[in-house]
Amino acid sequence: MNRRLKTLQAVVFAAAILAVSFCPALAVEPITIGAPLSTAFLYGWDAERAIKLAADEINAEGGVKVGDVKRPFKVEVIDTRDLEPGVPVSEALLAVEKLILEKKTDFIIGGPVRSEAALAAMPLLSKNKKVSILSTGALTPKYHAMVAENPDKFKYCFRISGEAKWMVTGEVVPCLEEIGKKFNLDRLFIMVQDVAHARAGGELLAKIMDGKGWKVLGAPVVYPTGATDFSMGLLDAKKQNAQVIIIWMDMPETAILLKQWHDMKVPALPFGTIIAAAEQPGFWKATEGKGEYCLANVVNAGNAPCNATPWTMKFVNAYEKKYGIEPEGYGTSSSYMAVYVLKDAIERAGSTDPDKVVEALKKTDLMGVYGRIRFDPKTNQVIASQDPAEGAVGTIFQWQAGKRVVVFPPKIATGEIKLPPWMEKK
Amino acid sequence: MDIIIYGVINSATLALMALGFTLVYGVSRLPNFAHGALYVLTGYIAWLLKNRLGLSYPLAMLLSLVATGLIGAAMYQFVLVRVRGMPISEIIASYAIGLAILEGLRWGGLKGATFTLPPFVEGGTELFGVSVDFQRLVVVGIGVLLVAALWLFVNSTRLGLALKGMAQDERAAMTLGIDSDRMAVVAMVLGSVLAGIAALVLLPLGNIVVEAGYYVLIMAVAVCIVGGLGSWTGAILAAFLIGFAQILTVVYLGTHFQVVVALAAIIVTLILRPSGIFGRQKELEERV
Repeated sequence: MNRRLKTLQAVVFAAAILAVSFCPALAVEPITIGAPLSTAFLYGWDAERAIKLAADEINAEGGVKVGDVKRPFKVEVIDTRDLEPGVPVSEALLAVEKLILEKKTDFIIGGPVRSEAALAAMPLLSKNKKVSILSTGALTPKYHAMVAENPDKFKYCFRISGEAKWMVTGEVVPCLEEIGKKFNLDRLFIMVQDVAHARAGGELLAKIMDGKGWKVLGAPVVYPTGATDFSMGLLDAKKQNAQVIIIWMDMPETAILLKQWHDMKVPALPFGTIIAAAEQPGFWKATEGKGEYCLANVVNAGNAPCNATPWTMKFVNAYEKKYGIEPEGYGTSSSYMAVYVLKDAIERAGSTDPDKVVEALKKTDLMGVYGRIRFDPKTNQVIASQDPAEGAVGTIFQWQAGKRVVVFPPKIATGEIKLPPWMEKK
Repeated sequence: MDIIIYGVINSATLALMALGFTLVYGVSRLPNFAHGALYVLTGYIAWLLKNRLGLSYPLAMLLSLVATGLIGAAMYQFVLVRVRGMPISEIIASYAIGLAILEGLRWGGLKGATFTLPPFVEGGTELFGVSVDFQRLVVVGIGVLLVAALWLFVNSTRLGLALKGMAQDERAAMTLGIDSDRMAVVAMVLGSVLAGIAALVLLPLGNIVVEAGYYVLIMAVAVCIVGGLGSWTGAILAAFLIGFAQILTVVYLGTHFQVVVALAAIIVTLILRPSGIFGRQKELEERV
């Protein structure tokens, strides 16, 4: 009996060895995606979840077809901490370096999240020939400008999420003009965070709106990262009879700003061109409903429920099913799409060779969660549009009765902009 | 007028943040660098009791203060008593406890903007044409009440007089039969509860976030250094000096310089008058 048992054990062991050796799904090496993200912050954890969701979906379908072999995606996340106040850019660079040299990742998706860190990481990515698809956080136009200036050096750097210049000229300005016409408003007050993209964006917006005949009330008021008291700025806005307050801040403390705005009954519509806290579904609860009427730009469609493309709600529902919450921040749908775009490029290239994948990425043309995804051949920046049939479409929503109602662009809007009651009385 | 109104509010805010730190240092010469962590912890406990256990808000607040007081006592009895009299070790030990609390909370899920406490009174009003929400007026009111209550406690109760005696001369107080360690525990409990009261009054104006712990600690240290370590009068005066300086900076220089004010005040004080405005004992030591 004992001998029989030993024979049986040997057979089972041999069968297991054979199975492992000949089953391609188990034997193939995964394609590793490195995700450098500031994971304690919204634009970090939303991207992490989205990347993992896409990788899981692709793996469930068998993986990525590289030549004749199907290889699964493996995601390695590292905390860059670059959104934390006072953390130097060098921390994020060390994190990216660790992903490349220590973790031996094949591709980079996600961040670094802070613009300054993303820019600083570009030479590092090029030096190591690492194809990177930036998908969250960094909005600075300098990123794709640098690619255009040095196409050979920075050819590995792509960005699939929106950038500040288009966001301002293609989304925020047209939306402001619509608000101006509809409600007869033209006095603009600007509050920004003391970070590169916000300062640049605030100044650009002031210049453009001034040129369009709006009264821009002074220079943008700059708040340090982590500020918690906005009362003096709001008081100033009230004193100057501001009618719209532009908020460009990626810190969670923006929920406090909106609570203070509500408590002080400032008769001006808050418009978050970037407003981290208001993007999240939990914002309503966090402000006890005081954030109602706040407009928030979430950069790309799919970060709030709408029907931009047939894939939009499919993604929103899949995300909600997996994480129990709707997509939260502006890096969610773009990080999800980055994985699918990478899969598409690898399959067309038939290889994971970085130069071949770069060439394939440049020829990307697929209908994604937020519209048609193509990269500008000179800048490697995703081509934006107000029409999802033409390009990557943005989203501006307004908090109305506890819901995020998409109000801009008109092609994907699900509702209309409303004013708070204390503005209507005026 | 807005400078005066918001200057007073900001000063009361700073005084509330610093009172507990000053009390503990004044009595036991113990720099409690876990002060900011206790501030955040109280807010989080109140939030948990209210939102997870469904307790009424007043009961949640009361229990959170009791819990914070007990944590303060435990901190002293189990850790700080062992390093008492060794200033650097006291700072390192208390800061380490604070760090463990704050980063433990972050690790446990305290991140994002969803942790909030409701204000005591909703809405706002106009004071001399300046919009102010009621909660900010509550901050000023409770600040004044706390200072008055502390003054009465210290000057007219046996325990308060014992604490005052300890603050003035620990050895002399001990010769009169006052138990130094017991008084240090009492001071630690009171200091922790004061940090907790500050949290319950101030956090409804914002969110419960880990970063608030570090901010409150910096502000408390700045106020105490400028006012003179251990001096309650100095702390209140310093709170007004820094509070108004911050508001004036916001109005005339820009909001992003606001944080710099407190740090600049520390540097200027250390250069011009290291003992602070009312740091008489240290001033005498420096002269000797």
